[in-house]
Amino acid sequence: MDYDMLVVGSGIGGMESALKLGDMGYKVLMVEKEPSVGGKMILLSKVFPTLDCASCISTPKMAASIHHPNVTAMVYSEVEQIEKKAEGKFQIKIRKKPTFVNSSTCTGCRQCEMVCNVAVPDQYNSDMVSRRAAYIAFPQAVPKKAVIEKQGSSPCYHTCPAGIKAHGYIALVRAGKYEEAYELVQETTPLVGSLGRACYAPCEGECSRYEIEGSLPIRKLKRFIADKYYAGNAEPKAVVRVEPNGKKVAIAGSGPAGLTAAFHLARQGYGVKIFEAEKQPGGMLRLAIPSFRLPREVVERDIKNVTVLGVEIETGVRVENIGDLQQQGFDAVFLATGTQGTRKMNVDGEDLDGVVSSLEFLRNVNLGKELSLKDKTVIVVGGGNVAIDSARVAVRLGAKKVIVQYRRSREEMPAHHWEIEGAEKEGVEFQYLTAPVKFNGKGGKLAGAVSIRMELGGADAGGRRKPVPVEGSDYVTKADMVIIAVGLAPDTKNFGSTIKLNMNETISVDPETLQTDIPYVFAGGDVVTGSSMIVNAVGQGRRAAFFINRYLTGQDLKGEEYDYRLPAVDKQQVIDRQQQYSVLPPVENKEVWHEKVSDFREIEPPLTEEEARYSAGRCLDCGVCSECSQCISECPANAIDMSMKEEKLEVEVNSVIVSTGFKLFPADAKPQYGYGKHKNVITGMQMDRLLAPTRPYNTVLRPGDGKVPDNIAYILCTGSRDQTVNNQLCSRVCCMYSVKQNQLIMGALPLADVTVYYIDIRAFSKGYDEFYEQARGMGANFVKGRVARVEEVEDGNLALYYEDIDNGGKVTRAEHDLVVLSVGLLPNTEVFDFFAGEQLEADEFQFVREVDEDINPGRTSIEGVFVAGTASGARDIPDSILHAGSAAAQAAAYVERTRMQQ
Amino acid sequence: MSSEKRAVREIVREEMLMRDKILAALGDGPLTVPEIADALGYPAYEVMYWVMGMRKYGYVSEKELTDEGYYKYGAVAREGA
Repeated sequence: MDYDMLVVGSGIGGMESALKLGDMGYKVLMVEKEPSVGGKMILLSKVFPTLDCASCISTPKMAASIHHPNVTAMVYSEVEQIEKKAEGKFQIKIRKKPTFVNSSTCTGCRQCEMVCNVAVPDQYNSDMVSRRAAYIAFPQAVPKKAVIEKQGSSPCYHTCPAGIKAHGYIALVRAGKYEEAYELVQETTPLVGSLGRACYAPCEGECSRYEIEGSLPIRKLKRFIADKYYAGNAEPKAVVRVEPNGKKVAIAGSGPAGLTAAFHLARQGYGVKIFEAEKQPGGMLRLAIPSFRLPREVVERDIKNVTVLGVEIETGVRVENIGDLQQQGFDAVFLATGTQGTRKMNVDGEDLDGVVSSLEFLRNVNLGKELSLKDKTVIVVGGGNVAIDSARVAVRLGAKKVIVQYRRSREEMPAHHWEIEGAEKEGVEFQYLTAPVKFNGKGGKLAGAVSIRMELGGADAGGRRKPVPVEGSDYVTKADMVIIAVGLAPDTKNFGSTIKLNMNETISVDPETLQTDIPYVFAGGDVVTGSSMIVNAVGQGRRAAFFINRYLTGQDLKGEEYDYRLPAVDKQQVIDRQQQYSVLPPVENKEVWHEKVSDFREIEPPLTEEEARYSAGRCLDCGVCSECSQCISECPANAIDMSMKEEKLEVEVNSVIVSTGFKLFPADAKPQYGYGKHKNVITGMQMDRLLAPTRPYNTVLRPGDGKVPDNIAYILCTGSRDQTVNNQLCSRVCCMYSVKQNQLIMGALPLADVTVYYIDIRAFSKGYDEFYEQARGMGANFVKGRVARVEEVEDGNLALYYEDIDNGGKVTRAEHDLVVLSVGLLPNTEVFDFFAGEQLEADEFQFVREVDEDINPGRTSIEGVFVAGTASGARDIPDSILHAGSAAAQAAAYVERTRMQQ
Repeated sequence: MSSEKRAVREIVREEMLMRDKILAALGDGPLTVPEIADALGYPAYEVMYWVMGMRKYGYVSEKELTDEGYYKYGAVAREGA
């Protein structure tokens, strides 16, 4: 849709221009980057010199500007480009930011804000108090609709293959909401306890805090919430089962992929049956991971999260024929049989008694088979986590000596460093750059390994340096057992005749939908990806459930976006939000370690509650919104929409009014006044917030300690009329807003003394001088003299050193308990970035240049573009409104003149 | 006298962490901001952010004003809690 006019900004100037033009009958588009119209005026306490309530004056205009039949107010949107076209028209590009709240259903009840778990500084209260990631800008906001601030996906969540909302559960732990944290993880997977112990936590590798002093222990936090929840819920809570939809899904394999798929399908009303080849369910969780890392009871409790939904698990049944399942009445099949086979080394002696695969070894131990390695020497071949697990299990079975032989160096070892270090502590010997080339035997039984030294040569196709045997370096090690842990492979021979396999015998699927070449058969997890992390398999199970549901409900599988996440927020952007960081060291990683390890007790101690909350408290809230989903649960209007996306719009208009306002002088640019350093030095805008009815505190208080101040100083011309900060202009409003605040303070705090340090008082407009005199009459003390510096003294009080001009100009010291810096106005130079082609000109002070200010106020260097209010120079509110009316008249005249010419 | 102030964003972020501690400190009755700061071992200006955030979101409210010019803040039952 096209408009007659574009008004950029909805402060008092923008609103005035839009309303006047709307009243004239023009169609106006008003674009505001904040979630509410109103600009800065709505945040003020009162206006001078009438002391009318700023809200009372602003809100009718705010309401009118969004309800006016000819004005379209587009909030939370930014003009990206303004380009002048032929015939005097303008092409406008606008970015509409996602609010993640459906504005047509949001009632402005603030429930989302009340339950939100992310606190950030409230810019609408000049950072004196917090707001939430989900928020309504201020109580008088128009429209009064919530928005959720998201700067992107937090990297921990974005990188999780399963889509577990790591930032969300961290934020919930930080807030002490452990059960909600558990439930949030369980929304994605039933395997909360298992992942809390055995996940390799790619999230931690992406944690922004890593850049400061170390990642958060995200996995351990998951374990903390699972332990806490399971301690109070030995059995899953009774669930209200979804009405069965009459369709059945068979799942082959009860590992992480199968269990997760079953969980999601059952929750949608499918009849799900899992067929497990082993005697007990759990797949690799139960068979491959030693119980000292993942106790069996945790796996069993996780599985109950699935069976409570009515999922049937039949063990000891290997799926041999997919067609049989269809004949049994299953409408879809999900193959998640994992990697049950092991790779061979293809060296002599591999078939000797005593040479075993790591999986066979671990499976036997995990299924309770009696096995003793007392006084035996064990060689483990391989460098992955399975190799380390095998070595540590061998130690626990009493082996006299356990040697890990790995053909590359420690740096290249795929196992995690903490696993290697744990094994070393338990006495495992590592022989790097070494590999067996032959196993010797006697009577069919293993006697030892012939190994050869390696050196690293050039890089292979994957970029890793290739191990090259060193000729003549072979040596023999006597051994009673060799455990080969050089990789796992899928066992898909049963399926090979019916579905398409890849060269490496994994099942061939559409990577997006996980559908095989048989439409009703899907596959996922290690049997598709090859041996991988548990969390990858969980992600595949979840994905499969999503597309199986689409398949069984007759929906198109292609084109549907699964698990949409915003792009990850840039980590440097996150770090740069703060100028300095306190050092908050991570909780030390520790294992319960005994010199002689002989049992399978869990080695990793849990985080204590104190450690968990401390750790969660280190989170930087990278994406801002944590996606903890509390707002979704709480919103009575069901208005939260996390799938909302940014929109880009293009419109054509006949004329443009820029009303982009001003910026306040950054008070810390005058370091001698101590803003940002001394706790009780604030700005004039902060004092206005303290005096406003919607103030951040219960009354005017010192931010340093909450004391009601009784001796307040004002320093005028902070950042105005000051060559040292490159702003020689008078800001025109500082004297009078300070005088206004003096009067309001003396009304609110009758016992307080107010002293104003000034150069000269500029009370130039109608009623201003009288207003100033009234403040003096009320008791405000005006001291002529520039303040040189402010120092913090005892109890947070402040010593001012100033030139006492009326008393001979000597430098004098005075003590106050609160100092207000009357900061000036600076140009908002962002407006100049909007223009493509013909550039908008700035004046010598970087305000928008009015080319003919005396007789055509509001006209800019671009014909058809006008400026309203403080975008062209410091003005008080009445002058801004007057100027905005002028800009509106100019814009209307331009449009009519253009029309007549055409 | 002036001790290094932490970044506002960092202090504010900790409100969620400190909320339970502050409510526990208020268990025996209302306290001023400096009294809460003493109880928690944190600087008063940081406690000010947390207490005012908690006030804004209905966890505490101001009670009496002391002779020294400090309000006492007490825990309140939140609507819907």
